[in-house]
Amino acid sequence: MTRTFADTVFRNGRIYTSNRELPWAACAAVKAGRFVAVGEERDVASLIGEATATVDLGGRMAMPGIVDIHNHIMMGGQADLYELRFSNADSVPRIAETLHKAASAAAPGAWIVGGQFGNNLLNEMNTAESCALLDAACLGHPVVLRDDTYHNRWASSAALRLAGVQADTPDPTDGEIGRDLKTGTLTGIMIEAASGLVERALAASGHYTAEMDRAAVARSISVLNTYGVTAFIDAASMQPIMAALKGLDDRGELTAWAVCAMPVVEPGFMFGKAGEELFALREQYRGTHVKPDYAKVFLDGVPGAKTAAFHEPYLADPVRGCCFRGSTMLTVPDLIRWLGRCEKLGLAAKIHCAGDAAVTQALDAIDVVRSFNGPTHLIHHIAHASYIAPDDVKRFAELGVAADLSPIIWYPTVFLEAHKAAMGEERAQRFWPNKDLKAAGALMAGGSDWPVIPIPDPWQGIEGMVTRQNPTGDFPGKSLWAEQALDLATVIDIYTIDAARAAGLGQSIGSIEVGKSADLIVLDRMIFDIPPDQLADTRVEMTFFEGRKVYQRSA
Amino acid sequence: MIAVDQIPVTVLTGFLGSGKTTVLNHLLRQKELGGVVAIINEFGEVALDHLLVESSEDRLALLDNGCICCSVREDLIETLTDLAARRAAGSIPPFHRVLVETTGLADPVPVLHTLMTAPELVGRYRIDGVVATVDAVNGARTLETHDEAIRQIAVADRLLVTKTDLAADDGLVLLDARLAAINPVATRAHVRNGMVEPAKVLDAGLFDPAARSADVVRWFELASHAANPPHHHADHDCEGADCGDHSHHTHDAGVSSYSLIIDEPIQREAFARWLDYVAALRGEDLLRFKAIVHVAEQPDAPIVVHGVQHVFHPPIALAGWPSADRRSRLVFIVRGIPRHIIENTLCKFAAVSRSAIQRSAA
Repeated sequence: MTRTFADTVFRNGRIYTSNRELPWAACAAVKAGRFVAVGEERDVASLIGEATATVDLGGRMAMPGIVDIHNHIMMGGQADLYELRFSNADSVPRIAETLHKAASAAAPGAWIVGGQFGNNLLNEMNTAESCALLDAACLGHPVVLRDDTYHNRWASSAALRLAGVQADTPDPTDGEIGRDLKTGTLTGIMIEAASGLVERALAASGHYTAEMDRAAVARSISVLNTYGVTAFIDAASMQPIMAALKGLDDRGELTAWAVCAMPVVEPGFMFGKAGEELFALREQYRGTHVKPDYAKVFLDGVPGAKTAAFHEPYLADPVRGCCFRGSTMLTVPDLIRWLGRCEKLGLAAKIHCAGDAAVTQALDAIDVVRSFNGPTHLIHHIAHASYIAPDDVKRFAELGVAADLSPIIWYPTVFLEAHKAAMGEERAQRFWPNKDLKAAGALMAGGSDWPVIPIPDPWQGIEGMVTRQNPTGDFPGKSLWAEQALDLATVIDIYTIDAARAAGLGQSIGSIEVGKSADLIVLDRMIFDIPPDQLADTRVEMTFFEGRKVYQRSA
Repeated sequence: MIAVDQIPVTVLTGFLGSGKTTVLNHLLRQKELGGVVAIINEFGEVALDHLLVESSEDRLALLDNGCICCSVREDLIETLTDLAARRAAGSIPPFHRVLVETTGLADPVPVLHTLMTAPELVGRYRIDGVVATVDAVNGARTLETHDEAIRQIAVADRLLVTKTDLAADDGLVLLDARLAAINPVATRAHVRNGMVEPAKVLDAGLFDPAARSADVVRWFELASHAANPPHHHADHDCEGADCGDHSHHTHDAGVSSYSLIIDEPIQREAFARWLDYVAALRGEDLLRFKAIVHVAEQPDAPIVVHGVQHVFHPPIALAGWPSADRRSRLVFIVRGIPRHIIENTLCKFAAVSRSAIQRSAA
């Protein structure tokens, strides 16, 4: 019998494993992408052969690759590679100037896609004057610009023509085609569902090729790898995203585990097949590392726009009056039907619930489904589990539901300021009861919701969960509900093993254990020995995915 | 809108070779069936020749007892609406009953769903009942090998065991027990050469608000018996959580049946909500559901609820209770839905008290 040696051995490290049985180790050996030994020098010595690569960690800390439980994997890379970037602080004339430069350089007839403008500019853009400015700047190119909510668009007249939008085109359901108040002419502003008219024309134009989609996803994943992320759930997987992931996987170029959550209905910001039609295609996108095993349900909107569903009313305003609570997009019976259908298909559901009433409704529906269907291995998610009625906190554990903690805003941010304006300071502050969820035994998982937050840096989230203060230095001296702070070990679980469990991959990733995927990251500091307010400064030195180095920090 | 009497529809199902056509041949000769439209598979199988008085077109035949035979069954909705239109126009004689024969391999459920839900039909027609023929010689084997056969038994209101003259007595006893296990509330009759009295076939299903109280009483008794079957294995020690679970299990594809008696009025809305949930989540496994329910809001007029998989017939209010016993009876023929799930969810979502659910006689 020939000895089998490890492909790679990590030595001389302070390896935090996220495995309760053996939390710390000095060495780990990898064979065929899996850990085959974890322990001390003596445990790996016999596995080192001539062809074994050894990585001397030099006493540095290592830990399991991080799991991002919620992001939108196509968008970041697409924006980086193919889109005209401007700041959401830019004025309309400034945007026109940037666009003019791009249009001058663009190939004849080519689409120009850009973003994200501040949604506070929508009214100013929705005029014949601004429209003229846009059309002059774009030099006849079809142009579509997205706002910073991803819900609305500003399109040039050429783009509207390609989309078949005319002065007499009726507004779509749940959308509005912008028209100048005085002249009634089209302004190019497309609100909510109207965005789909232009986005579909863009998609139909072949502007984004499959190759470009793959490159965009690859770019996004390489960004994740720099932060130590080696697994994620794409939280709204449409066909092009899954095709890109599968395409990369087939080429051996996917450097993270990709779990896909397929929308049950077309989301407001992405367009194409959804629900049963999309589920039916799921097996064609499954790959070694691509797992189309989740469905995505949008139950409400966001608190800042007063579109999230709450038990108590928002502050009164002239438009909505005194008693507006927001509403959910599905009834309980509809949600039950979807969940029942998902369970039949072996899909877990990630349910977007930004307001506490949406959380209650989702838990109620899951309660019904559990009562009739009995136990399941599927772990449904309440996404953005942040405003939660006190009585609902314990139900997460009771019903086996995971709390998807995303986006990274569990400390004072501009989001919180918008929530204060919408519902008053006291209520707005009861945001992210992480400690209560933990105490009640909930399975919790950290996520970024990138690009809702501009960079998918989990270390900001990790620091913020420990300090409840803004790690960037914004809002100095302010905390958000400091009693809900968690200890670092718990937070690391939330970003590793617990997130892996929530992603349905708890048996294969999320901790450094024999048999699991060799997803390991090396850090520039020993995070358990530093003041909590330095956690966000942590830099990942190296990222290994299945034992293969996929990121090395440059000196 | 003018209220029109709904025309009862009897669905005749049964496996290939189970004697369904023989039964049909016999029935069509009975004068009680005058004024019946029979929607059949093929003319060729039914020996009509000597009965024919008129064949106005290929797909329609008028028999001398006034029965109309019609072989168009690709689209039941189209056929039934067309027949109603012809009847109204006077181009065919008036008829007061429809008999639909399903093909042997057919799952009768789609036919029932059509009759229960098609908007073109629900006002004009009502399901009278489902009659299934079972071959005494080959029936047991067919049940083991064909899922459709189990579904046919599960949805039946009346079971006709055919070819009993060819079957051994002990085999017949076993088959009867098997049928009772799959569907404890269907009546069973043994027939030879298809000779069955029309009364044993018609008016079977409790879908009629004016159901004869004798039928309701009979059904009540069967349902109660199903809730409290006698112990056959008295020497068998009863242990574990399912001890009190006197459901009838069969070895046929996990099909079992059980019934519950609920000794308290049930809130209408809560019950409707529970029905919605069970239909949405376990409809596929709910082969047949039948209940007489004491509704809190309407204590003097029980409602009858029929469900076939995920489709529920709108509740039918009976004129009154057939006896002094006003307890609700719920009968389930299911595939793999444990009884405790039904009980727990009734308590949780239909506002039923656990103490009101009776599993065995006090």
